Amino acid sequence: MDPVAPQKLPRTQVAIAVLWPSFLVAIAATGVFFSAFNPRELIPFNLDIEVSPLAAYSIGFFCFWLIGILAGYGTVYFTVTNARLSGPPND
Amino acid sequence: MPDASQHTESQEFYAAHQKIYPREVEGRFARLRLLSFIVLLGIYYALPLLRWDDRQAVLFDLPARKFYIFGLTLWPQDFIYLAALLILAGLSLFFFTALFGRVWCGYACPQTVWTEVYLWMERKIEGNRSQRMKLDKAPASAAKIRTKALKHTIWILFSLWTGFTFVGYFTPIDVLANKLVMLSLGPWETFWILFYSFATYGNAGFMREQVCLYMCPYARFQSAMFDSNTLIVAYHPERGEPRGSRRRSADPAQLGLGDCIDCSICVQVCPTGIDIRNGLQYECIACSACIDACDEVMDKMSYPRGLIRYTTENSALGQRERILRPRILVYAAILLALCGFLLSSLLTRVPLELDVIRDRNALYRETTEGLIENVYALKILNMDSKPHRYRLEAEGIDGLRLVLDEPQIEVAAGTVQQFIARIQADEFELESRSQSIRFHLQALDADQLQTVEEARFVGPGRN
Repeated sequence: MDPVAPQKLPRTQVAIAVLWPSFLVAIAATGVFFSAFNPRELIPFNLDIEVSPLAAYSIGFFCFWLIGILAGYGTVYFTVTNARLSGPPND
Repeated sequence: MPDASQHTESQEFYAAHQKIYPREVEGRFARLRLLSFIVLLGIYYALPLLRWDDRQAVLFDLPARKFYIFGLTLWPQDFIYLAALLILAGLSLFFFTALFGRVWCGYACPQTVWTEVYLWMERKIEGNRSQRMKLDKAPASAAKIRTKALKHTIWILFSLWTGFTFVGYFTPIDVLANKLVMLSLGPWETFWILFYSFATYGNAGFMREQVCLYMCPYARFQSAMFDSNTLIVAYHPERGEPRGSRRRSADPAQLGLGDCIDCSICVQVCPTGIDIRNGLQYECIACSACIDACDEVMDKMSYPRGLIRYTTENSALGQRERILRPRILVYAAILLALCGFLLSSLLTRVPLELDVIRDRNALYRETTEGLIENVYALKILNMDSKPHRYRLEAEGIDGLRLVLDEPQIEVAAGTVQQFIARIQADEFELESRSQSIRFHLQALDADQLQTVEEARFVGPGRN
């Protein structure tokens, strides 16, 4: 197997590789998390706010997605940069 | 993967995407696929409309945290069933892939099903393959804009219906329909309908085969389930080569040609735009369109069918085919075991749960009679679809007394209710400062509805 080619992945490819797996993982994580915790019991600091369950689940989902995106983008960033640093100069 | 292709492959990877115009195809497999699509789409759009007793038959009620699946009501506590179901689905995929190859991709994957529906609409509006290609190449004109606008309007309407149905699995669909008509949909409901609609429109209208090529994890790892006895779609090169065009009346043997007339129809019908004659490729979703197309050509040429066919590597190489092989047996065994577990645990599932929380305000209290008393908050979850009355008993200390604030423990169907229970015991019967007791809850009208929960009883301890 060749070492990772020292090139930049196309932008759309990166976007798909980061957004899509994190989306799938976020679905699973939302399912597991909210099976264990009822959003009604999660309001922090005894704040007196009214959040509809659907809103809570949706916000939870987007938080998980965001975390996944950060992790995924970190992976892409470090692999590409490493390969470029050690490989022959590109462009 | 051959090494020589490494270079060209990476180029291909970066090449701008070329739109694929799959040619329409008729034949036995096309009919089989159509049947599968109709059944699957029918299930998707009709399931939320079905009723069961006085509720929606299949409803994943997120606000109430209950999943209704026909007669079954699942609570968050039943998460294990959902997990088991997902594992079961995954294993079935392995099993069927090992046996039949990528039948999932060609016949049942939502990406394929909706792509075919959108393609069908496109065909009805823009015409056949060559008409569509011509239309796309043509300069902008009123007629072109009209045709395109019509297509996109119909696509979007269909997407919205799809998104609406999707949200209808989570919010009662009759309520949702009502809100839609009254224009009073909640912000998140609106958002998810639009989100799902947009995803459908994008995936089935534009992304199509690119989802399979770049986004599908299954497409990447399905080869791990393959072996030389797995069903694949393959071209018969010994019979077909050397390929070449010829007149219908010509004798291929005389011309030194094989049976492939190089009409390229197998390439034109391919929804992922590959040439099956180049061998097995990961882009192939085994939709069998090329089989139908080639069979039709073979019929016209009066050659035997099956130049492109469902086969296995072993059979193609003239070796013995084996259906029952260790891999299949192992998959089948695990699948059966898991099915058995899921079924038996569903059948023996007790839709009753008791949570005991000791009152944390006071460790214990002495009653006027000189007994030691502990107070507990009992949460009773009646997960059944009927209300029940229960009998509560406690044991663990000789001569203990159970005092309930309410004379009767009754919990309505599908609800949680809290009761206060006091346990009183003689100090001299206590074994230690803190000892365990057990609450036993039993429904009065159903023997199998019972559960036991442990708790701590705290006393002064012996001096």
